[in-house]
Amino acid sequence: MSRMGKAAFRSGILALMLPLLRKEFLEAWRDRRALIMAVSFALMFPAMMAGGSMFMIKKKAEEVTRVAILGSEQAPLMAERLRGPGVEIENLGSGDPRTLLAEGYHLVLVFTDDFAQRYRDFRAPPLYLYVDTSSTDAGRAQRQLQERLAGLQQLVVTQRLAARGVAQQVLAPWKLETRDVSTPSARGALLLAMVPGLLILTLFVASLATSVDTSAGERERLSIETLLLQPMPAWQIITAKMLAVASLGWLGALMAIGALVTLMPVMPLAELGIQQATTVSGVISMGLLLLPLALLVAVLQILLALRSQSFKDAQTQLSILQIAPLVLLMGLDMAQVNLADSWQLLPLIGHQQWLKALLVGEAVSLPWMLAGSAVTLMFVAAAVATGARALRRESLLSAG
Amino acid sequence: MIRVQGISKSFAGQPVLRDLSFEVPDGRITALLGANGAGKTSCLRIVCGLLAAEGGQVLVGGLDPAVDPQGVRRQLGVVGDREGLYERLTVAEYLDIFARMQGLSGADLTRALESTCEELELHPLWKRRMGGFSQGERMKVSLARALVHRPQHLILDEPTRGLDVLAVRLLRRTLLRLRAAGTAILFSSHVMPEVAELSDCVMVMSQGRIVGRGTPEELRGLTGCESLEDSFVALAYGEKGAQTEEVLV
Repeated sequence: MSRMGKAAFRSGILALMLPLLRKEFLEAWRDRRALIMAVSFALMFPAMMAGGSMFMIKKKAEEVTRVAILGSEQAPLMAERLRGPGVEIENLGSGDPRTLLAEGYHLVLVFTDDFAQRYRDFRAPPLYLYVDTSSTDAGRAQRQLQERLAGLQQLVVTQRLAARGVAQQVLAPWKLETRDVSTPSARGALLLAMVPGLLILTLFVASLATSVDTSAGERERLSIETLLLQPMPAWQIITAKMLAVASLGWLGALMAIGALVTLMPVMPLAELGIQQATTVSGVISMGLLLLPLALLVAVLQILLALRSQSFKDAQTQLSILQIAPLVLLMGLDMAQVNLADSWQLLPLIGHQQWLKALLVGEAVSLPWMLAGSAVTLMFVAAAVATGARALRRESLLSAG
Repeated sequence: MIRVQGISKSFAGQPVLRDLSFEVPDGRITALLGANGAGKTSCLRIVCGLLAAEGGQVLVGGLDPAVDPQGVRRQLGVVGDREGLYERLTVAEYLDIFARMQGLSGADLTRALESTCEELELHPLWKRRMGGFSQGERMKVSLARALVHRPQHLILDEPTRGLDVLAVRLLRRTLLRLRAAGTAILFSSHVMPEVAELSDCVMVMSQGRIVGRGTPEELRGLTGCESLEDSFVALAYGEKGAQTEEVLV
């Protein structure tokens, strides 16, 4: 310890704060409800991410439309021409369309027994398409088959008219073809873009119960009066509370990062076009850069909870506060705004940028990261000063 | 000694204390007697420095809480409106933490904890977490926290509420012992027998003013009532209040 540090300790500035820190940490870490909340959210969201990526892959695999054709002997060539990429055709001798749909076919196409005869006689034979519109894939499958049938119909009409001397060019002024340019990696990037916001949300959720208990809870139980009667400045009380609350938020975020990194190898990220490039130093950097933000989140939650009239009121207000940063970050992501480097100085926005880069193994500018963290710590100091003033408010105590 | 000189206080324009003056000498137990809303808690909080007085001056051991709040708090032991306990801490942890916050350490700390545990018969509770404690147990621990650093001045806000007979006897014994040791004790209460038995001086408060003060016997003699309770009613609610204030203050 430096000479100044020793002097400060001996004069009691820090010596009195250490027991208070101990009290706050014991209180926070023995609150089973708060711990369960912190741990469960921290583990839940990476698990949901893993589930989400697997679902995307499964959805992709299921994007093939399965069509059962009944009576295909009436028009064997037509059945053959419907087959193509993304459409699987199975010619079945017989069957009940409803049963076939229930068995997993997206569509059932039925040719009537007199289809061939009526087709040859130009009597527009009916073609029955069975679809279960309550199925999530029904719309996509129906659209896909109808497009093919429309193309085929156009071809037949063209051929019939050409046989009667009408020029093909007159009949088809254009030919529309739709190409899906979405790539798995684009969809994967969307999934990954959510991670920084969710990591930041973890800081809020994991520390919510503790921040309410240590501020609005102490106020409601009037134990805050006992603390205020101790010979120590108010900023030390706020600082001790902030550190205890932040420890839980930070623990939650670290656990979420750990779970995410652990689950990444089992996630089908490669199939989504994401290359897992998170390094050990990247993981450590993520943990460290979240520390100042954990402090800021903690002290802001304490400030808001101290202003609340009751424990319940504080819980409601903080629950609303949690959503705000997530909405802001997701809004920025969706708007795909190109932010100048200087935006990294702002808490939350800077953290989002850094986390996003570190998650895919990209380099992060150390000077910007240090400067941004310093700005966050300045916000923390200002919030602690505001909190110390709030503790001197007489309305904090019920009047006798 | 605690000296209060001409303090007033109001909340949202409503006066709670009006030009209040009194002294609590060392080695004496002084009781503040008053109905709900009479201003007892506000008065005690001003003495502790938790509330700021509007005008006047408070001195605790010669220090003004408005000027040197931390100096005053080092000299004070306070049992407030609520016990101020933490349910997830054991009694040992709780007292150790608050003793350290008052600046105790090393052998002094160990001695203080042991003697407090002994005096307030806390052995059965020592290692237990405080969640689920009875009212009597809570009050005992709260009193231990207020006394662990051996303060020169002790302030108690209705310390006997919710206590059983044994706990009240323990509290009484403790306060008498502290008085003998020279501690200045100021407490508020509704319980007349306690006040009658313990107090060297009783101050009756009504609507933010002291309407009578003296020993319990003096108050009984002055109001011509047989009990302290009747004297209190006569002073706080009756017409005799104004007259006695003139005689005694």
